[in-house]
Amino acid sequence: MSISKLSTVLAASYENFPKGRFITLVVLRTTHSETIFRTEGSGEPMCSEFVQAGLEGENQKTIIQRLVMTKRKQVAPERRYGREHLRAHELLYTNIKDGSLCSLNTNAPCEMCVDCFLYGFAAGGGGAQKSRIWTEDAFSILPASDVVGDRTINAIYENGTMRDEKGNASTALNTSEYIKPGVHFLDVVTLKDVTADELRYIIGNILFTSRYGAVSSRVGRMENEILGVFGSITELPSSLELVQATYDVLGKPLEHPLNINQLITASKQVIANWKNKRGVSVQLSEEELANLLTDVETNWSEAERDNFLKRLTQSYEPFRHVATEKKKAKAKGKNTPVEVES
Amino acid sequence: MSTIPFQQAKLVELYCLEPVFFASRELSDTYYTEGVIGNYALTYALGRVNSPYRLQGQATGRPTYKEDFQPIAQDFYILPASPVGRVTFRFERFNALSDAYWYAMTNNRVATAREDLPLQRQGKKPSSFRPSNFPQTGRLRMIERRNKFQTLVFGNHQLPTYIRLGKFMSKVQVNVLNEFPVTLLPEGEYQSQHYLNAADLPQQIEALAFDLISIPPAPIIKNLHFRGAAWQIGEMIVPAGLHFCGRESSNE
Ligand SMILES: [Zn+2]
Repeated sequence: MSISKLSTVLAASYENFPKGRFITLVVLRTTHSETIFRTEGSGEPMCSEFVQAGLEGENQKTIIQRLVMTKRKQVAPERRYGREHLRAHELLYTNIKDGSLCSLNTNAPCEMCVDCFLYGFAAGGGGAQKSRIWTEDAFSILPASDVVGDRTINAIYENGTMRDEKGNASTALNTSEYIKPGVHFLDVVTLKDVTADELRYIIGNILFTSRYGAVSSRVGRMENEILGVFGSITELPSSLELVQATYDVLGKPLEHPLNINQLITASKQVIANWKNKRGVSVQLSEEELANLLTDVETNWSEAERDNFLKRLTQSYEPFRHVATEKKKAKAKGKNTPVEVES
Repeated sequence: MSTIPFQQAKLVELYCLEPVFFASRELSDTYYTEGVIGNYALTYALGRVNSPYRLQGQATGRPTYKEDFQPIAQDFYILPASPVGRVTFRFERFNALSDAYWYAMTNNRVATAREDLPLQRQGKKPSSFRPSNFPQTGRLRMIERRNKFQTLVFGNHQLPTYIRLGKFMSKVQVNVLNEFPVTLLPEGEYQSQHYLNAADLPQQIEALAFDLISIPPAPIIKNLHFRGAAWQIGEMIVPAGLHFCGRESSNE
């Protein structure tokens, strides 16, 4: 079991105060259907940004527009994936305030479930838990112009025409942008002070979440793959730097769709250098990584899942009594917590 | 003020790898980040002070800066970070989402109890439809990616290459540009180019003129023209005796 290779950077149990334990997951996210990532409302263009193409030579001077999958777009569905299973195995708690079951963004997190302990919550007045999962905006390798398509939406009425019974023209006729299938995003996810079971839970959420972005019932399929796992006492380079360095290695000319194997080889070449970075103590080998992923799949399997999730839930037991020591002096803090989901 | 607690200071550049958001002020449903990074936030982000993952009881309503910084204040100080050039901002919309299949936005709140809907329509107020006490939808003004800030770090400390800042733990690169000895200048009239935390100013100095950026937890002062002793760090000048919460005792 290669999870033991990470033991120096894993916490033995949940602790309330941070220690210098970082685990970094390098994630490749690939769209498998049309996908929509916007930071503004519908009709707005895809979320993209002008950044340096690469870190070296000409690439450093070339500015390209890359698609951005924002950090909040990643964590919201992954978190919800885990919560579905907590709910199914009856591991969400009811909150004291109104007795309702733990629910995202509804004023009343239970403060006791796995999700609350790991991904955090901000409750007005009662308390707050910082997330120990730090995501980053992920960038497409190729420029937005290569990987965004346009679609004309013809909303046809039931009578089969573009006009309704009163003769009004359909207003739903417009073009809308989408991200093509086969687009790759590279991403760095940082975990702080997590236990072995928490790590399994988080990796499971990343590997098994398959839909992201807007209107996810029809579009937004995405496949996640873990390319590397590091243990360190500091943070490792950013998603943006990873994408830029990989772009440098890939060389030109690049065309959509990229060859995924070449891309993986290039990314792995980039992160192989990270083991020389200050503070890095562990990099899982190919075999250790494969073993870790098998371990995760085993724990999440039909046979093991209930046991696994209950064991994880149980691990927070010593910290659950806290809710009872509610302060009478209800502090009227003016720092409004802004809990933001998507 | 004859001794200097710090032998040296580092000039540090902060490079925003991601958009950074702090709730500096609020106008209607828009939450504004000011173009400055507070030094208390930086102290936590640099890992000089341990703050717990779970905030409970008093800590949720009242920050614990004084208690947190007191143990390190003899040996560490950092200025609020000021922008290099003009700060650029971006706006983003946020929406709280629910994990329920059915939900509705009511009273700035995501309601998930569908069975309460008929009650709500009759004018009754089921608890699941009561207003939220934290914002669920609105707009954020954030510091744009690629902005650069500068600050001075007093004391001899190794700094991490990356830190996380703001409400969304945005990744920021830390580059040490230069290192200088700190020298003491005698009482006189000086002009400081740096952003200073109003709560950290020594009580002995006389502020002649300044601009104020009003942000929580303490206002930031810029273009300070003052009379008093000063520290010189390379070409830069700041009031001597800067100290976490140095002014607090006088107004509490
Ligand atoms: Zn919960």
